[in-house]
Amino acid sequence: MSGGPAVRVSIESTCEKQVQEVALDGTETYVPPLSMSQNLAKLAQRIDFSQGSDSEEDGIDGKPRDREWTKQEPEEEEGTVKFQPSLWPWDSVRNNLRSALTEMCVLHDVLSVVKEKKYMALDPVSQDPTAGKTPQVFQLISKKKSLGTAAQLLLKGAEKLSKSVAENMENRRQRDFNSELLRLRSQWKLRKVGDKILGDLSYRSAGSLFPHHGTFEVIKNTDLDLDKKLPEDYCPLDVQIPSDLEGSAYIKVSIQKQAPDIGDLGTVTLFRRPPKTKAGTQQWHVKLEAAQNVLLCKEIFAQLSREAVQIKSQIPHIVVKNQIISQPFPGLQLSISLCHSTGEKKNHRATPDKPKPDDHLYVLEHNLHQMMREFHKQQLSSVVMPHPASAPFGHKRMRLAGPMAYDKAEITSLQHNEGLLEKIIKQAKHIFLRSRTARTIDSLASRIEDPQIQAHWSNINDVFESSVKVLITSQGYEQICKSIQLQLNIGVEQIRVVHRDGRVVTLSHQEQELQDFLLSQMSQHQVHAVQQLAKVMGWHVLSFSNHVGLGPVESIGNASAVTVASPNGEYAISVRNGPESGCKVLVQFPRSQTKELPKSDVIQDAKWSHLRGPSKEVHWSKMEGRNFVYKMELLMAALTPCP
Amino acid sequence: MEAPQVTVMPVTGGTINMMEYLLQGSVFDQALESLLHRLRGLCDNMEPETFTDHELVYLLKGQQGNPFILRARRSLSHPTSPWHLRYLGQPEVGDKSRHALVRNCVDVAASHSLPEFLNEMGFRMDHEFVANGHIFRKGAMKIVVSKLSRILVPGNTENTERLSLSFLVELSVLAPAGQDTMSEDMRSFAEQLKPLVHLEKIDPSKQRH
Repeated sequence: MSGGPAVRVSIESTCEKQVQEVALDGTETYVPPLSMSQNLAKLAQRIDFSQGSDSEEDGIDGKPRDREWTKQEPEEEEGTVKFQPSLWPWDSVRNNLRSALTEMCVLHDVLSVVKEKKYMALDPVSQDPTAGKTPQVFQLISKKKSLGTAAQLLLKGAEKLSKSVAENMENRRQRDFNSELLRLRSQWKLRKVGDKILGDLSYRSAGSLFPHHGTFEVIKNTDLDLDKKLPEDYCPLDVQIPSDLEGSAYIKVSIQKQAPDIGDLGTVTLFRRPPKTKAGTQQWHVKLEAAQNVLLCKEIFAQLSREAVQIKSQIPHIVVKNQIISQPFPGLQLSISLCHSTGEKKNHRATPDKPKPDDHLYVLEHNLHQMMREFHKQQLSSVVMPHPASAPFGHKRMRLAGPMAYDKAEITSLQHNEGLLEKIIKQAKHIFLRSRTARTIDSLASRIEDPQIQAHWSNINDVFESSVKVLITSQGYEQICKSIQLQLNIGVEQIRVVHRDGRVVTLSHQEQELQDFLLSQMSQHQVHAVQQLAKVMGWHVLSFSNHVGLGPVESIGNASAVTVASPNGEYAISVRNGPESGCKVLVQFPRSQTKELPKSDVIQDAKWSHLRGPSKEVHWSKMEGRNFVYKMELLMAALTPCP
Repeated sequence: MEAPQVTVMPVTGGTINMMEYLLQGSVFDQALESLLHRLRGLCDNMEPETFTDHELVYLLKGQQGNPFILRARRSLSHPTSPWHLRYLGQPEVGDKSRHALVRNCVDVAASHSLPEFLNEMGFRMDHEFVANGHIFRKGAMKIVVSKLSRILVPGNTENTERLSLSFLVELSVLAPAGQDTMSEDMRSFAEQLKPLVHLEKIDPSKQRH
């Protein structure tokens, strides 16, 4: 209709997209349209592949195709007339798949026929020779390149792996080094100076005044050659000790007969084997301990030699190289030597005499070490600390010397009077005296059977004093004859003997004195035994003397004598026993038993014939009985008539 | 009867020629425990020793400017110990490279009548204080960690008041004159105490304003 103004009509296509949601402010969100692949997937789901077109039955070549073609022709003819709506978009896909299946079936048939080789045979197709060469070289080069890249990748990977393994090992060794360092620090003093770790193995912090520095260095041992196998005792930590403390040392103390030749001094080469290390201890520990021992031995020897030179004594001490010689007793020599072997090679210096059995006194070496450590400890005692704090270090009592006006005698009494050397000489003297006493007693015991010697050594002794109880008994009569009991106190230079009856005798260090004394005691014992036996047997003791003044003079001690009379008084036995002269036994008979009776007018009464008359000696050696007391008992029994 | 001759020559031997090498530092109260642990580990292996001392400083004013100072010290924890009288000379102005303060030092032990004696000689007490703390030893070196307290009533050592919240640390060695080897050892020892306490050479003459 015309006439009016044109009305603008806007035409909008219908919204192809579906509205998913309308927001509160009016905006519409559309469902996003399907993409191509999604569309394809949706359509593909509607195809039913199992149901093909009716013309396809089996895989024979031409027929279905022909049939299809024939079908398609009328279809196409039909199609020219009108558009076939039944031709759905998947038709071409279906046709292609079907032709592919046909082709596959044909191939399968051909191959099965060819396999039988009866109806069909395969013939190689001759190739153009010119076309082959250059591709082969190219092939080689390309293969080589690809192999090369593959190999490089593998090599890179292997390198990374080996690097990480090496790093792990390095880390572990570092950790091992640190843990070893921790263990070392728990036992030894360490400090860090610059980039070095130094340690102190001297006794200075324990009170020593020896000027040796005693510093050792800790070395890291972690950069090893990885190809070489690790040694058995590998330790990531190593210590370097000062060169003069290497090897091992000990102080040899021995007592010998005085060497006639002085030229032999200073050549002590006897060395004992180093002690076996405990399993599980680290090498550095063993090394450090050995070095510390060497240092202590050096300090002990330095102190001893200093004292040997300074202290005045009656017989001067000789200090030669590594040996100190002194004379504790005449004819005897005490040698203290520092034996230090660096362990490089054994010293084959020929000594003139054969290797002696080890006469090293371990006890004295141990005592030397102990005394040194005690000296150290004294340096650190709190007696030295000053009160008030500003005063200098020094012994507490010496500080009083000024205000209390001590004189020289008091001051000298405060100072240490005995040094290490004097103490060790005293100990050596005592040890020697004790061993010689034991030897004397043992030799007497083995030599003399009749009175038996028993020695009971006390278990607890002092360094300067020991004691032994000596009993002299007769076998079988221990309960009766026990009057000789001696207590010997062996000191440094003398032996003090305390008798059971209270006598105290002091013997010198001479061996002969002790032997003579014991022999005299043994002879006294026999006489005492007769006295005791007489009591038991009922005989009466008429006289007894320990030191008889009659008869031959003994060179050792004195002879003793006893006279006992029988119960009825008829017989009497007199015994005289001396250490040298042996024993002499006389028996006194009654007058009535003597052969010759002097006729006399003086004696009127017959009863006087019962008195004891002359005496006769007994052949003691022919007497029966295993020891003196037994013989005596038999004699007494023989002389006691039965009632 | 004539009095025996008195020598006019000065005494040169014995204890007259001892030099004191000194390094000083201080720590706060909180740091005391760790310092004591460290010293216990570094120094000689002994039981830790504590002390309480009472020190009196005597002055003799002469005609010249500088008075003569003597220090008398006694132990309150060990009352029977003798008094200790000390003279400290001027610090030696030797080479600057020396690490410790060096001064002449004379130490004398005295009986308990020392204060009266000094008074009779003409000395007057300038000040007194109480010091208590710990004392350590390493070889010849002495390390004293002390807390100083002021005495409020003169003569009464019970009533004291702490002067500061820190402890004074002193490292000293007494050696005969001429021996200079100790300063190196002192320096290396001071190095080992480094992060806890800085021991250095403090010149007392430079302290006075």
